[in-house]
Amino acid sequence: MEIKIKTPLPHGGRLVDRVVRNPELGKKMARGCPAYDIKPNLYNGMPVRNVYREIMSICYGFFSPVEGSMTQAEVERVLKERRLLSNWIFPYPLVFDISEEDYKKLGVSVGDRLLLRLKGQPFAVLDIEEIYEIDPQEIATRTFGTPENNPEVVRRAFDTKHPGYVIYLSLNRIVLAGKYTIINEPRLRPPFDRFWYPPAKSREEFKRRGWTTVINHQTRNVPHVGHEALLRNAAFTGDTKPCDGILVNCIVGAKRLGDYPDEAIVEAHEMVNLAGYVKPQRHMVTMLLWDMRYGNPLESLLHGIVRQNMGCTHHMFGRDHAAVGDYYDSYATQILWEKGIPSFGFPAPPNAVEYGLLIRPQNMAEFWYCPHCQEVTYSENCNHLDEIQRFSGSFIRSLLSEGLFPPPVIMRPEVYKVVVKWWKQFGYPFNNKKYLTEREKELEVDLAPMDI
Amino acid sequence: MGYSLAVILDKKRLEGIKGTGLESKVTDMFGGAIQALIMDVPEEPYAKRILAEFPGARIDARNFLEEVPVAFKKAVYEEIRRLKSMGPEVLDAVFEKMAEIKELAAQEQEYLPPPEVD
Repeated sequence: MEIKIKTPLPHGGRLVDRVVRNPELGKKMARGCPAYDIKPNLYNGMPVRNVYREIMSICYGFFSPVEGSMTQAEVERVLKERRLLSNWIFPYPLVFDISEEDYKKLGVSVGDRLLLRLKGQPFAVLDIEEIYEIDPQEIATRTFGTPENNPEVVRRAFDTKHPGYVIYLSLNRIVLAGKYTIINEPRLRPPFDRFWYPPAKSREEFKRRGWTTVINHQTRNVPHVGHEALLRNAAFTGDTKPCDGILVNCIVGAKRLGDYPDEAIVEAHEMVNLAGYVKPQRHMVTMLLWDMRYGNPLESLLHGIVRQNMGCTHHMFGRDHAAVGDYYDSYATQILWEKGIPSFGFPAPPNAVEYGLLIRPQNMAEFWYCPHCQEVTYSENCNHLDEIQRFSGSFIRSLLSEGLFPPPVIMRPEVYKVVVKWWKQFGYPFNNKKYLTEREKELEVDLAPMDI
Repeated sequence: MGYSLAVILDKKRLEGIKGTGLESKVTDMFGGAIQALIMDVPEEPYAKRILAEFPGARIDARNFLEEVPVAFKKAVYEEIRRLKSMGPEVLDAVFEKMAEIKELAAQEQEYLPPPEVD
């Protein structure tokens, strides 16, 4: 019996790297191509998605083995079976969509190369393999499932209050399918630059640190003490000893009103190690550019893929993983990783099917504060059920809004000070319309001028 | 189905309810780290109306109404203190001021003064 766990291979067998690092070659690739300026998808006037983040995550290998905007057959297979045409599992359709008006203006056809500009500068090229039309409403519904078709985990029909659903509703009807290549490597802006670890780099960093077993903590939140308890305790899994490392991978992208600004999220997680609550030698904060779909079990599949690609051996999953509202069962993600969800194409867990994942799930119940135990404790241990107090992100956000310093039993003072730092910067502690709109103009990257 | 609404009490608010008979209703949360008055909020008509008036408001995993505007919570506290009660008449009184609260809530969406921390 093999006791020691090894770093898993990337999903699909190899890391995708579609970034041209030689600017002269980049210029040559784009010369003479029609150009298109990337714009965000809007819903009710608010930016909900920017395809540039998908292009970054694809080309730098986070979404390996995906290499571009999916063809119609691939989208259909993903929606039906959550598999790519190469058979590897993948949860979401990823497409490059444009309006009919822009399509007519561009006059492109299959076989053409399209130059994609970002913030006015050349960014990437798309080699067009297919052009087809989609029905955004149909894609939105099929992406997340329905109570009728997916009764194991979908509890109610998705609607426009769901931020992931509106991402698909906001898609333009024309899709240009084909591989992307980044030809002008963007520079991450501070503070994101120090958290940017594409899979090849994170794997190198794990080696440098001597980490083999690494558990990932997914987050879109500033950490409260309950989150910290989850990541510290989940990391007791491993092989012959607890995991060598804890990787925190923060989702950076368009989020919903009322979430924390991404700048506060990445720095607040970093503060957990800077303030010594988890040794920096064992804790590493990174980011993923992605406009969250909030798809609970489906999102957990994407998380498994990304973190396996980054070199993680384990992934912790809690209650209501990557969820919003009560569209899915609270334990839908754990159901997927414990026994599978046949109606989503998983008669067995994602790491027990062919072309599945190698990363190991660590399904956790809940951490709550117990005044009787006088500590944050695991729900499967503590039996003082009449006394316990559950952590609630909404409650903490309310506390913060009222200008109250949260007690250390809820949020570390150093973490709170990071929230206040960015609150001062933006005039608001959470995402409001102004922040989301400004942010979409600035994005997380800058691009050097490139004359083609 | 009923929900709860927690009105957090800082020192100033605790001082404000002294002698009102409400002191005995103060609940310790998180081992006494936070004090709050926790009101019952029946679904009809109260919780439904609060959720309808404030699109950001939500019911959290504890069945508490949260992410309501600061102005709303402030008004609830003021009415609790004035009426010396935590009954439904508090919310009735708050609803009478809804236009003013919503105006303040709209301003809150633009700017919230950051606290001074060391």
